[in-house]
Amino acid sequence: MLGKGTLILVLGFGIICGIMGARMSKLQTEAVENMSYYHNVTNSHTIASAGANSAMSIIYQDPTKRGAITSQSFSAGEFKGGSFSSRIDSLPSTKLRLRTVSDYHHYSDTVEVYFNTQRINSFSMFAWLTNFEGGVFWITGDTVWGRVHSNGVLNVNGRPTFYEKVTTAKLFAPKPGVGTNKAIFKKGYETGVARLEFPTDLSELSNAALAGGRRYTTNVYLSLSAGSGADDDGKVYVRTSSGGPVVDSISVADPGFNGAIWSTQSVYVEGKVDGRITIGAANDIHVTNDITYEVNPLNDVTSNDMLGLVANAKVFVDDNAANNANCEIHASIFSRAGSFTAQNYLTRPVSGTLKIVGGIVQDTRGAVGTFAGSTIVSGFSKRYYYDPRLADAQVRPPFFPGFYTQTLTISNWWENVRIPEYF
Amino acid sequence: MAMMLDILISMTIGSILLLSIMIAGHVINENSQLMNDQVVVQKMLISNAQLVEGEFRNMGMGVPEGDATVLAATDTSITFLSDLDRDGTPEQLKYWVGSPGELSSSQNDQDRLLHRQVDGGMVASIGVVTRFSLKYFSQGQMDTLLSPVDSADLEMIKVVEITMEVQNPAALYRDKRDVKDGERDALYSSSLWRQTRLASQNLKR
Repeated sequence: MLGKGTLILVLGFGIICGIMGARMSKLQTEAVENMSYYHNVTNSHTIASAGANSAMSIIYQDPTKRGAITSQSFSAGEFKGGSFSSRIDSLPSTKLRLRTVSDYHHYSDTVEVYFNTQRINSFSMFAWLTNFEGGVFWITGDTVWGRVHSNGVLNVNGRPTFYEKVTTAKLFAPKPGVGTNKAIFKKGYETGVARLEFPTDLSELSNAALAGGRRYTTNVYLSLSAGSGADDDGKVYVRTSSGGPVVDSISVADPGFNGAIWSTQSVYVEGKVDGRITIGAANDIHVTNDITYEVNPLNDVTSNDMLGLVANAKVFVDDNAANNANCEIHASIFSRAGSFTAQNYLTRPVSGTLKIVGGIVQDTRGAVGTFAGSTIVSGFSKRYYYDPRLADAQVRPPFFPGFYTQTLTISNWWENVRIPEYF
Repeated sequence: MAMMLDILISMTIGSILLLSIMIAGHVINENSQLMNDQVVVQKMLISNAQLVEGEFRNMGMGVPEGDATVLAATDTSITFLSDLDRDGTPEQLKYWVGSPGELSSSQNDQDRLLHRQVDGGMVASIGVVTRFSLKYFSQGQMDTLLSPVDSADLEMIKVVEITMEVQNPAALYRDKRDVKDGERDALYSSSLWRQTRLASQNLKR
């Protein structure tokens, strides 16, 4: 009796312990599986990332590669049993996509890297840029603080000083250090570089003016006002004739205004800039009086004032009473198919100093005055200062024209996300 | 007499065995529950971590170079842009942790909800955490940026450190005699996950 009771007790005890042991074992297994799962997916992701980096090093060595790039299986080490494969494909809009897919113990991850094969740089990064120098010489006393480039021949006669690198798609005449070319290149020079192609039109700016800026179909006369002197309260007053009534006024800081102003005719402009604007014209731009920033970036590089003057044809410094006693222009100037020049530079009176704070980009180098030896005969003597903020190719007045250079820069990086089941 | 003695001894041994079974059962049950809770919180944590980790890695996806990616950053919340559905338009994604006691139904007084919101839309609570903290670093000097990060310094954020802790919402109450000063009166299974210095490649462009 007692023996049977003891047997039943021991058996019962054993069964209870067995059930609890099994339960504990199951929980332990689940805990390990949980950890193992996270370890596996982490390894899978790491392999995919490593594969992407490996493929990128191949692409940077040979940017022409397309299709399958590389693949690898791991038979030892931390990633034993894992593998990855990478391929690169062309996408529209000068983009490439590098896709790497990994596999690790039946878990798979994907990393996609997107590249831009062209990079847009703003013309405003240059202090001076021309398609043609037009036989004009750089001479002693000329000093340029920003980058200089020409798609044509750079003529030098004397000791001009260039503080940044000078490049030309052609050559110097004469060669640096030879004959009359005694130019000082503080950061060197390079000849035979790739041409920087001018845009075939100014549609980016004119379209922007239509989309969120202002677009006019007549000649317009713009008076720029810095407002009260406080920041970001600048205005642009628009007239259709000189001295006529104001037909439109623009608050530059208005969030609904994208900074683009365009006329399908010509633009006459003067005043003080507070904010960022680009003024464009399908024909010419006439500077009728000083145009200055509310805060001069030469005195304060944190200035947020920036102006682009973009003409399809010429940018003139008008021959008028206001401009004939010095003229000061703070702007990045762009003349797509013409020149930046002083109106009537051959016949206008001696007009003092033309001071520019910004940069000049033009198709053909224009004249602003004439000299007899070192004596000015007509027009302006020049003082061109570079706006240091524009050295960054990505900083430009709104919709200021740009040019493309070949590159292979990462534009986006994407990795797959494991979405929880409950989500 | 001998029979009485047998019965007495049997009862004593039986009682000892029964007591042992009861004690063993209690210990096994407590350990089993703790382990079970541990598994539950680990699963909860991994689910949260995978989503957070994945979306943080894609921070800045589809955002044009030069544009701001991180819009606001504090030690318990972050707002950033990322093209979640890869349609070419970045969405504004916000993560933040709620206040303690937000979950009145939870026994764990430190439980709080981890919220996620896309483009100012519906707020989704993606999990229950007891801790969700963020640290921000610049790329060049790997300096810790003071939180909340000043709006002028948001572009300096290149690396984010995420720390997340999940505890079991169900308590395993302790005998009051076992609770020492400063200790909580209940046991909570806990799992801690930290992604040290997670860097979205898109922030390094």
